[in-house]
Amino acid sequence: MSVLGTSPERSDADAKLRGQAIFGADLSRTGMLWAALARSPVAAGRIRAIDPAPALRGDGVLEVLTSADVPDWRTGVIVSDTPLLAAGSVAYEGEPVAIVVAESRTAAEAGARAVALDIETAEPVSTPEQALEPGARLVHPDWNRFAVAGGEDIGRNGNVVAEVVHDPGDLDEAFAAADIVVEGTYRTPRQYQAHLEPKMALATYESGRFTIEVSHQYPFRLRDRVAQITGVAPSAVRVVGHHIGGGFGAKLDVSLEAFVALLARRFRRPVRMQHTALEERLVAPCRANAIVAVRSAVRRDGTILATDVEIVSDSGAYANNGPALSSIPMFVFGSIYRVGTARIRTRNVYTNTAPTGAYRGVNGPWLVFANERHMDAIADALGRDRRDFRLASLARDGDLMRNGQPLTEASILREAFDRVDELAPWRDIVSRNQAQRGIVSRNQAQRDAGARTSQPAESDADVLRGAGQAAAIWLTNPMPGHATVKLNEDGTATVITSATENGSGAVATGLRQIAAETLGLAADAVTITMPDTDATGYDAGSQGSRTTHVVGRAIADAAADVRTQVLDRASRMLEAAPEDLVITDGVVTVAGVPAASLTLGAVAQAATWSDGPITAGASYVTPTPPHDPACATGMLIKGWPTPTYHLHQAEVSVDTVTGRVTVDRYVVCQEVGRAIHPDAIAGQIQGGVAQGLGFALSERVDLDHGRYVQRTFKAHGLPLAEDVPKVEMIVMEHADPAGPYGAKGAAEPPIVPVAAAVANAVSDAIGVPFDTLPITPEAVLEALEAEPNGETVARAAREPVVNRDGEQERETTGRAS
Amino acid sequence: MQFCRVRSVAEAVDELSRWGTEGRILAGGTDVMPQYLRGEQSPAALIDISGIDGLQGISEVGGVTSIGALVTMRRLATASLVQLRYPALAQAAALVGAWQTQTVATLGGNICSAAATADTLPALLVADAQLMLVSKSGRRRVSLEELLEGPGVTALRPTELLRAVEVEPLGERGAEGYVKVSRRSAMDLAVVGLALRLSVTPSGVISGVRIALCGGARAAHRVPTAESLLLGSQLSGDIDVFGAVGEELARAVGPAVSPEAHYRRRVLRGLFDRLARRCTAQIPGASG
Ligand SMILES: Cc1cc2nc3c(=O)[nH]c(=O)nc-3n(C[C@H](O)[C@H](O)[C@H](O)COP(=O)(O)OP(=O)(O)OC[C@H]3O[C@@H](n4cnc5c(N)ncnc54)[C@H](O)[C@@H]3O)c2cc1C
Repeated sequence: MSVLGTSPERSDADAKLRGQAIFGADLSRTGMLWAALARSPVAAGRIRAIDPAPALRGDGVLEVLTSADVPDWRTGVIVSDTPLLAAGSVAYEGEPVAIVVAESRTAAEAGARAVALDIETAEPVSTPEQALEPGARLVHPDWNRFAVAGGEDIGRNGNVVAEVVHDPGDLDEAFAAADIVVEGTYRTPRQYQAHLEPKMALATYESGRFTIEVSHQYPFRLRDRVAQITGVAPSAVRVVGHHIGGGFGAKLDVSLEAFVALLARRFRRPVRMQHTALEERLVAPCRANAIVAVRSAVRRDGTILATDVEIVSDSGAYANNGPALSSIPMFVFGSIYRVGTARIRTRNVYTNTAPTGAYRGVNGPWLVFANERHMDAIADALGRDRRDFRLASLARDGDLMRNGQPLTEASILREAFDRVDELAPWRDIVSRNQAQRGIVSRNQAQRDAGARTSQPAESDADVLRGAGQAAAIWLTNPMPGHATVKLNEDGTATVITSATENGSGAVATGLRQIAAETLGLAADAVTITMPDTDATGYDAGSQGSRTTHVVGRAIADAAADVRTQVLDRASRMLEAAPEDLVITDGVVTVAGVPAASLTLGAVAQAATWSDGPITAGASYVTPTPPHDPACATGMLIKGWPTPTYHLHQAEVSVDTVTGRVTVDRYVVCQEVGRAIHPDAIAGQIQGGVAQGLGFALSERVDLDHGRYVQRTFKAHGLPLAEDVPKVEMIVMEHADPAGPYGAKGAAEPPIVPVAAAVANAVSDAIGVPFDTLPITPEAVLEALEAEPNGETVARAAREPVVNRDGEQERETTGRAS
Repeated sequence: MQFCRVRSVAEAVDELSRWGTEGRILAGGTDVMPQYLRGEQSPAALIDISGIDGLQGISEVGGVTSIGALVTMRRLATASLVQLRYPALAQAAALVGAWQTQTVATLGGNICSAAATADTLPALLVADAQLMLVSKSGRRRVSLEELLEGPGVTALRPTELLRAVEVEPLGERGAEGYVKVSRRSAMDLAVVGLALRLSVTPSGVISGVRIALCGGARAAHRVPTAESLLLGSQLSGDIDVFGAVGEELARAVGPAVSPEAHYRRRVLRGLFDRLARRCTAQIPGASG
């Protein structure tokens, strides 16, 4: 019986439930020192002096290091712009300035607080708009001296870290032919990963090599980045991974690891660091805040002739992976709906704020928010039903994405619209919501007319309801993976890989199932190792839903090789042809002859003591899909490999008294290739929707002059269990020929369409467009009041304006900004 | 710091007089412990009263209900006497923090902390709560209104213990309720909390009104100007009196100096209407 499509228990469930699992934050070593960072208290300024004396007076403090004591070169994933410790000036609040080494954590942290920093503050460049103003202060006056990996031209210029431009050059013509032009500006804040386990690192130094123990999503990147910063060869760094208490993208790059490495070498003792809760919040590589301006030329029949997209995203004080992420708009606009000819310009800019980075579904939530809010705006402008308009505009099989990549499975999305409608019929919802609007307006009219006020109102006479949809096509990260599969002498199997279990179950269940399926074992007969860069081939980490697809494929290939070796050995032992053998539940049998059988253990032992142990390794990288390399300038991500298809539908109610939005019903239709572990997929969907709802409605990451306003978990406003409905899910399977048993990625994308679907639903409920996130109760009340004559229910009438006598008269709809 | 566990009211007042301003009563600890951990409070002695049986219990004598200072939020939320005769108090207690908080947080602690966001205070104000205080030098009785001097400031003397709270039950033709608006659906302090108690004559005239608020810049307080708008009005009349009261409440919370205050003012208008309708719907014949 197949183990695929079943949901066996995770290998780490028992230990995690019992509190026995050792997370990075649990690690300790005999003789270990602690270190802590003194960080810049201001967003921008010049360092006049750093006085370590007050810190050194503290009990147990051994040393205070500043930029003069550490390697002075700048490094980075793409742009080498980041110093290890700030020298001369500081560029964001929280930037490391000095490091205090002590015998205990308390002493190190007290020392870090005691270091006297004399900083002449400067007016920070606080927002991306400010960064782009003519004559704006440069966050890095010497930007031109920073090296770029591979010497790529990424369009850097002053505060612009990277610019990606796609311009087919025929937009003016298309706009001239338009009946109406629809415009919108969509603004989204940062989003904080809010993982529970703080970042930590522990280093030892022995025989000229570093060992870094950590809970990290991407041990091999860490190896390379620690080597880059400390100036040693990557092979001189060994990274050992432990259980991770959440990452969501925040644990993909180096943070404390280089410090502990240098200190372990300096003191010849193990050194440990860990963020405080405040540090977590101040220096988290949040999802970038962004402004997306979209302008569309539309014909009265609903054809979108052209789309002009202008994007600015906030890189923060350093580039991090912002330049690469700036390619992603190229895969959103025009991949889901036909948007005509498109010009897309994305600029990623420096500001004096904490560097932004990767958060689950990089850039996706705000790009899809813009794309889908805009689809609603066009449908409204045309007076069309929003679902009908989407269906009419859907991309079709064979259409090309803006990078020239053909969409081979676009029709899956049309199927998703059908599937969702079977479960939650759009027309019924729309007419029910309209009826409810009638109740609310009658109630209001009665009150306005001074009717008897003490009448108990109809039960929910002050609740408006709305519905929204949002679709997405998301990639499966293609980057390399490797696995070794060995058959143990007791007939079980071990998979050796640095694939990282970041909570999703991809490693703890999915990869084990793939090995088990191929070898004819039960899932619990497969053990999988924790990451260790000394012991395994390269692995590109837990990101972009890649583990099941990429590492799963490597495992399937390696396990198939092991299987061949087993059958070969068993055929000699059983004196039968290999093709006549079957393996079930760890037993090799000659088909049709149940008596002629051997356990895998017997086969493995025989093999080990004759030909040698049975093992096999395999590697996999998803090939880059066909595309047009000249489609844009500055593009670092060229293709959109192994796409998956998503439709979300949200139903909300809006309390017109408090402005609070409640999500009443949420439906997700997600295409996954093949569902290896259905429960794990359900977990990813429920969790992604929860995070998306936080982004849409409640989470706050406000910046004031470059400084974060909310600094605690409580102020942050993650959604509570009560705020998240039980998500209804439809999982579609369209096997990917390259994936292991057809599997594509499934973990990352459920967060991507959420804010868009919810914002569309709230805008529908109130009749006022919500183009800025989060949709707070305050914003809702403001919108309700902004309605003419307190009429909360009339949908804004938007008359399409038609070309007359060759003279263009256009109306611009969407929210005035 | 010294930790004194006391077993009786007598022991408690002894310790209180010994430590004076250096001592601090510990009941459920949900206010005291976070303040201590944040370094905002460092008393020389914590006087743990949680073991005093005499401060537990809800009793009714001669039509007056007495609630012990140690009665927890959970108890208030679920006790049938409270649900029946003091529904606003039961509702408020059920909205404090989350289940875990309610299980340890006490009524006495909520009163004595006197936070501007204390949920039970508006409900107690509309029930005209009287506080039974005791110290080594004797007993005194003060109304909750007198006790509350400002946000976090009370007329309680450092040597005094709150023993019990006496509240006036809801009359025959009366109704009351408490509504809270906060940023999150649980585990959050009130942006605004509103309690209303109404009594209505058989002919539908509002004969008694008490309205109290929390969540603003001030300590919880009654709003007499809003109450007088409602008093004497005919429930089946055709004036939009609820709307006017809502406007008055919005005025009473003061100028909208912060976004939060602005939001509070906006919410209050509709919130009062909602609460008033909910209450009048419960009075037989009143909504005719
Ligand atoms: C997570 C969390 C959420 C919360 N949410 C809310 C909320 O939503 N709404 C709300 O109103 N409050 C909330 N609170 C605050 C708190 O729970 C309440 O104020 C609670 O009622 C305090 O009671 P306690 O028994 O814990 O008081 P303690 O912390 O023990 O004491 C509070 C204060 O009162 C004094 N005191 C206590 N008992 C007496 C007495 N008998 N005589 C004299 N002085 C006394 C103490 O010395 C101290 O100054 C929350 C607290 C936490 C930790």
